[in-house]
Amino acid sequence: MAALRSSARLARSLRVPPPSFARTYATLNPAVAVSEATSQSTPVKGSKGTVQEPAPSKEPKIKTFHIYRWNPDEPSTKPRMQTYTLDLNKTGPMMLDALIRIKNEIDPTLTFRRSCREGICGSCAMNIDGTNTLACLCRIPTETTKESRIYPLPHTYVVKDLVPDMTQFYKQYRSIKPYLQRDTPPPNGKEYLQSPAERRKLDGLYECILCACCSTSCPSYWWNSEEYLGPAILLQSYRWIADSRDERKAERLDALNNSMSLYRCHTILNCTRTCPKGLNPALAIAEIKKSMAFT
Amino acid sequence: MASALRPTLIRQAFAAPAKQLLSRNASSLGPAARASLLPQVRAGLVRDALPASRAGFHATGAKAILTPLPETIQGTVNDPAPVPPPSPLHGSYHWTFERLLAVGLVPLTVAPFIGGSLNPAMDAVLCAALVIHSHTGFTSCITDYIPTWRMPKIRKACDWLLKFATVIAGVGLYSFETNDIGLTAAIARVWKA
Repeated sequence: MAALRSSARLARSLRVPPPSFARTYATLNPAVAVSEATSQSTPVKGSKGTVQEPAPSKEPKIKTFHIYRWNPDEPSTKPRMQTYTLDLNKTGPMMLDALIRIKNEIDPTLTFRRSCREGICGSCAMNIDGTNTLACLCRIPTETTKESRIYPLPHTYVVKDLVPDMTQFYKQYRSIKPYLQRDTPPPNGKEYLQSPAERRKLDGLYECILCACCSTSCPSYWWNSEEYLGPAILLQSYRWIADSRDERKAERLDALNNSMSLYRCHTILNCTRTCPKGLNPALAIAEIKKSMAFT
Repeated sequence: MASALRPTLIRQAFAAPAKQLLSRNASSLGPAARASLLPQVRAGLVRDALPASRAGFHATGAKAILTPLPETIQGTVNDPAPVPPPSPLHGSYHWTFERLLAVGLVPLTVAPFIGGSLNPAMDAVLCAALVIHSHTGFTSCITDYIPTWRMPKIRKACDWLLKFATVIAGVGLYSFETNDIGLTAAIARVWKA
């Protein structure tokens, strides 16, 4: 195997690259180039045109991905959609696999956030085929006639390519004081106990990973993200309001009791529809409204 | 195929009269006037700036109504977003009142027709509830789409416009109730017509 690899490398060094082989970015990882060296690799065009799969397999399932690109180093250039084609036989089942493969093998300038690749960290939230979801939890539709389109989360300031700026989102999260607030010490001197029924109230709330899929799918949050907290933050707020150990329920409700923070929710339910974790932010918001209605 | 072809045909059709116009101008006007006219006429008739697929439909470029401002961060990134002071009148009381009114409107709308008696007092209550209901509904439209921090003057103007419109509607309904047959009777008559 080693001998084969070294001979392949030798053959590659003998091959003269075609004149159109002009890259605008750093060279590819040589290990990847070796694995593709058994067949003639197609030259990678400049970053403007369609970038092809390096070496198609025997029965390729070629899928086209259109991906939003914007580079902050060229701020006067308009954002554009770049097209990539991948062979699904060589790609993992999820959208994140496709993105990682594009970044590793075709275009290293493609930028996106990812970390856990299993729907726990919430980093890879993006708009895939018109739906806000986590790329790691979204299967690639195997139908190759349909082309996939990937955008950053809608109505966010874009840092680069698929990376949105979450500053305002995190600032709002901080404003709801997402931690246990108590004045009295625990009765047994050791820990704050909770009955199973009280604990069950937090199911469907504590699972939220703050990926911002719901908030950025909410039209009300699109128009008023400066003042309206958005479904994700309100769900988190309700997680502490509903917690039996927390002693600042009244203060927490008072912080929401104005025209903007909570009541810009018009029960559009995009949040519940889009949540990649299957949670129900709209229900949490309705519970907050209900608890504030007749007090 | 057709969609790819059409804009080019339209552009050719526009380009031809532009040339004729220019030649006519050239014959009637001096060369200086012709030079000054040339870029304007060309800009008006040959729209190269627009993408080919849109040239046939849009005479002017797209105009965004409220373009997003560049991002600003209040304080540092680690400061919490400001929490507004509690105002239940604009918050929970307002919301509860809105819901109760909306729920109350259902029997108010149905009752006169089920009961079969067109009572002027019931009519008055229905009209008042309708006016207040639509006022709060439009208020939340204004709050949603015209943020105070972004357009304080337009917001104030819209608030007053809505108040004015509500008063007009109230006066109109009052005169309709007192001088004419009344709302429920009118609906009943239209229903049977």
